[in-house]
Amino acid sequence: MDNLVIAATERSPEVNFDFEGGQLSLKGESYPEDASSVFGPIFAALEQYLVQAEGKTVTFDFNLIYFNSSSAKALMNMFQILDDAADRRGVKVEVNWRYAEDDETMQEFGEDFSEDLEHLTFNLVPTKG
Amino acid sequence: MAAHPSGGGFSLFEAEERVLAEAGNLRERLAEADPELKHGVETLTEAYRRSVREQRRLVRVSDRLQAQLASVNQELAKRKAEAEEALTQLREAQETLVQTEKLASLGALVGGVAHEINTPVGIALSCASHLADATERIRKLFEADDVGVEDFEHYMETATDTSHLILGNCERAAALIRSFKQVAVDRTSAERRRFELASYIGETLTSLTPGIRQAGHKVAIDCPPALMVDGYPGALSQVLTNFVMNSIVHGYDEGRSGLLSITVDEPTPGTVRLTYADDGRGVPEEHRTRIFDPFFTTRRGTGGSGLGLHIVYNLVTGPLEGQVTVESEPGKGTRFILTFPRQASGGETTGE
Repeated sequence: MDNLVIAATERSPEVNFDFEGGQLSLKGESYPEDASSVFGPIFAALEQYLVQAEGKTVTFDFNLIYFNSSSAKALMNMFQILDDAADRRGVKVEVNWRYAEDDETMQEFGEDFSEDLEHLTFNLVPTKG
Repeated sequence: MAAHPSGGGFSLFEAEERVLAEAGNLRERLAEADPELKHGVETLTEAYRRSVREQRRLVRVSDRLQAQLASVNQELAKRKAEAEEALTQLREAQETLVQTEKLASLGALVGGVAHEINTPVGIALSCASHLADATERIRKLFEADDVGVEDFEHYMETATDTSHLILGNCERAAALIRSFKQVAVDRTSAERRRFELASYIGETLTSLTPGIRQAGHKVAIDCPPALMVDGYPGALSQVLTNFVMNSIVHGYDEGRSGLLSITVDEPTPGTVRLTYADDGRGVPEEHRTRIFDPFFTTRRGTGGSGLGLHIVYNLVTGPLEGQVTVESEPGKGTRFILTFPRQASGGETTGE
């Protein structure tokens, strides 16, 4: 299936889903006025991909510096979908939650989000600069 | 953390926990019920449990974001205070600089005046001393009744020469002092009134006609006929006089004549733009930047005081509340552009 590449805007993250290579990434800031218009296409593509990803390995990089509550809910939904895919379809999912090493808030978000996930690998990855 | 159950047994999610506990009881009572029903209730309970966990997380997300916002706001307030403080300091420094600059230009002015006046006064003084000596000599001869015709003729010659020199140099010193007084134009004493700009420019130029005609220049005035200005005609007249004198003295090579033009328009309502131009030899760039400085002259020693355009600058930025710029290219004439408000500040003048 086609890759999903969406450039960042002031209020939405850069999307780079390389489905062929199993490398997905969300990067930047996310506080859109209308969360569904930003996350709708992302979820549609992700769900379509995961039904056919049986046995594959998927690495998902999250490199977010700021997001609002709607985006947080969307992220939790996304993790749930990934966790379910790991559970029910045998997809090997690895999530890298990247955050600036001095950004405690982003670190705590990562810790929180990883709590409920049982079937995927969730890595907290502090980065420099 | 607000959502944490510890802290005196208080829990934000107490009601939800109670519902979940009741759901547990319900499930036990359903032990013997239809497995499909049991499974349905279990799925529902699990979904609710997950939803409550998400809710807790979202509350934390929201709390963190608000905390972040608060600290950003604090930082912003701090930065704003710092910026305002810096701005205040900058304004003070600027004010000091302006005062220093004023003092420095005053110092330059006084120094220049002293330098300029020193020469004619020095000459007058030595002439007077020479005349006094000669007078003393002739008096002694006269008292001894020993004045020869030749002695007397010689003395007459000395007296005539020295008194001419004294007079000339004193006049020159007086003229310099007059121009010095002009520089320090009293900005309040000048008369303010409403006047028709076109005819006023005409009157000023008429008074300059002898000099202009002698140099062979022509004059062209293009000014909207009904344009009224409420301000200081005396200042404007001095400015125009200085422009014209400048063109006559500096603008053209010896024996050349040209066209002096004055063009007036209103670039925006309420603003007058007066462009004075000659088509003479122009001002080289190295002089252009200093042209409004006091005592800047290319003709020191041949009568230039270097005050004319400085006076212009003071009059324009002072009473006229405007700006003056100069444009020139060697060989292509000089152009002074004057902009000032059609009505000077400080209330309207009713009289004509």
